Amino acid sequence: MSEPLLSVSDVTVRFGGLKALNEVAFTVGEGEVIGLIGPNGAGKTTCFSTLVGLNRPKSGSIRFQGQEMVGSKPHRVARAGMTKTFQNTALFPGMTLYDNVLTAALGHEPLAQARETATRCLRDLHMEEAGDLAVEDMTFPQRALGEVARALATSPKLLLLDEVMAALTPAEMDEVIATILRLRDSHGIAFVVVEHHMKAIMKLSERILVLNFGELIASGTPDEISSNPAVIEAYLGAGHDD
Amino acid sequence: MKRSLLILAVIAIAAILLGLALDPRSYGVRVLCLILMAAALGQAWNIVGGLANQISLGHAAFFGIGAYTSTVLQVQFELTPWIGMPIGAVLAAVAAGAIALPTMRLKGPYFALATLAFGEICRIGAQAMSGVTGGPQGLSVPFYGDSLAMMQFRQPGAYVPLFAALFFLVSAVFAVMSHGRLGYMLRAVRENEEAAEVTGIDTVRIKLTGAIISAACTALVGGLFAQFTFFIDPDTVFSTTEISIRAALIAIVGGVGLLWGPIVGALFVVLVEEFLNSTLSDALPGISPFLFGVALVVIVIARPEGLVSFRHLVTDRFGKKGKEA
Repeated sequence: MSEPLLSVSDVTVRFGGLKALNEVAFTVGEGEVIGLIGPNGAGKTTCFSTLVGLNRPKSGSIRFQGQEMVGSKPHRVARAGMTKTFQNTALFPGMTLYDNVLTAALGHEPLAQARETATRCLRDLHMEEAGDLAVEDMTFPQRALGEVARALATSPKLLLLDEVMAALTPAEMDEVIATILRLRDSHGIAFVVVEHHMKAIMKLSERILVLNFGELIASGTPDEISSNPAVIEAYLGAGHDD
Repeated sequence: MKRSLLILAVIAIAAILLGLALDPRSYGVRVLCLILMAAALGQAWNIVGGLANQISLGHAAFFGIGAYTSTVLQVQFELTPWIGMPIGAVLAAVAAGAIALPTMRLKGPYFALATLAFGEICRIGAQAMSGVTGGPQGLSVPFYGDSLAMMQFRQPGAYVPLFAALFFLVSAVFAVMSHGRLGYMLRAVRENEEAAEVTGIDTVRIKLTGAIISAACTALVGGLFAQFTFFIDPDTVFSTTEISIRAALIAIVGGVGLLWGPIVGALFVVLVEEFLNSTLSDALPGISPFLFGVALVVIVIARPEGLVSFRHLVTDRFGKKGKEA
């Protein structure tokens, strides 16, 4: 395939006078795992929301599997194979985790198959036992992983993970990293991962993109990024408080 | 779901048997019909109000469209309501689609007000179109004598099976939807619309589908209501208080979004209202609606989850007893 899975070019998003994203451009290949980092307010979540169609960019193009996604509603983007998790988790309350995952699967397949998908997605994340829990009774890490399970149920080709490891212990984090890599290998899913934990990001990503004030200031391998002066400036210059 | 359908069937059959046991001209049989109708109406509302949490206060629009369609077709063309009522359901579905498109983005009170206005527009429209609807004077269902083919009977008792069947139909629609694909999606939209979209649910289409099914069911209830009362006028069938708010009230008092909610709600609302009316209306004018209102306020404050939630008290108590024994 000549065209990458996702190719983002010159995407600009404005909120009133504020440029939340300024001419952002990058590509994601099939089965690639990419880290997206940057200080708070750099535009990482905005970037994800724009990719899945929740925000409409002022200009630019988002091509996914050769199709233009700008202007498509989020459910169309999801059915095309790109979806995201929500940073502060947005599982459907008043439902069990299993029903959450099942609902996502129902978006593209009939009930009987969706039930199998839901079970499989929970198993993929080692969450079978949490399936019967009401969202209200789940811990934050469970909810974050539940988000991943629900996103997985849409059978994505590209999954955008927004800080799913935020509240995890290092051991749990390692497990999630292993899970992500396993899903990449078994299902061929590509990932873009937003995470504040540098160790996790370095371990997971083949390539890292750095956003600062809505602009992509660097892109490269983990080693290149950790020695990039502009990146160090962005983090240290803004006060290293991570 | 099979169990729910079975219980619904048992309730419907029990109602029919009760109807046979009562004197077909009696007040009791009339109350039975009113309860079944209220339950069907509340259940139809529950499809959008409960599953999608869109608090509509305009369901009288669909009730009235259903009532007028089958009645006008009888008056003009002697068409049987067996055909007229489904036509009314289709027209109500079209109206629901037309009103849903501009209003579905509205939330909470804004949606409620927009639907309320729609109901009122329909009422005023029915009054104005006197050539077809008879205007404010209303319209009588022509009486052809007792006839199942024309769905009309001299005695209220004969309507019990019809109301029971309609109650079963609408409740079954709710049960099947609630357990199926559409129910999951409607609940997802209710809980978090943005997340629902991102997980691949076409929220606009889902809401539209729910609104259309709900409206069609409501229209069927309106059609049968016209057959039951033999007379309709805009102020009755397009009434905001007597139809729109009542439909919402029955579901909310019983337990919004739950299959058993409108059933319990209908039993409570109709029985309390009829009891107060028959015992107190001579005592002091206005006292019975006042007390009825007080009772509703107390329930909504004390039991915002609806009367169905008392079930847990009962099961909890039985549970404890079971452990002690």
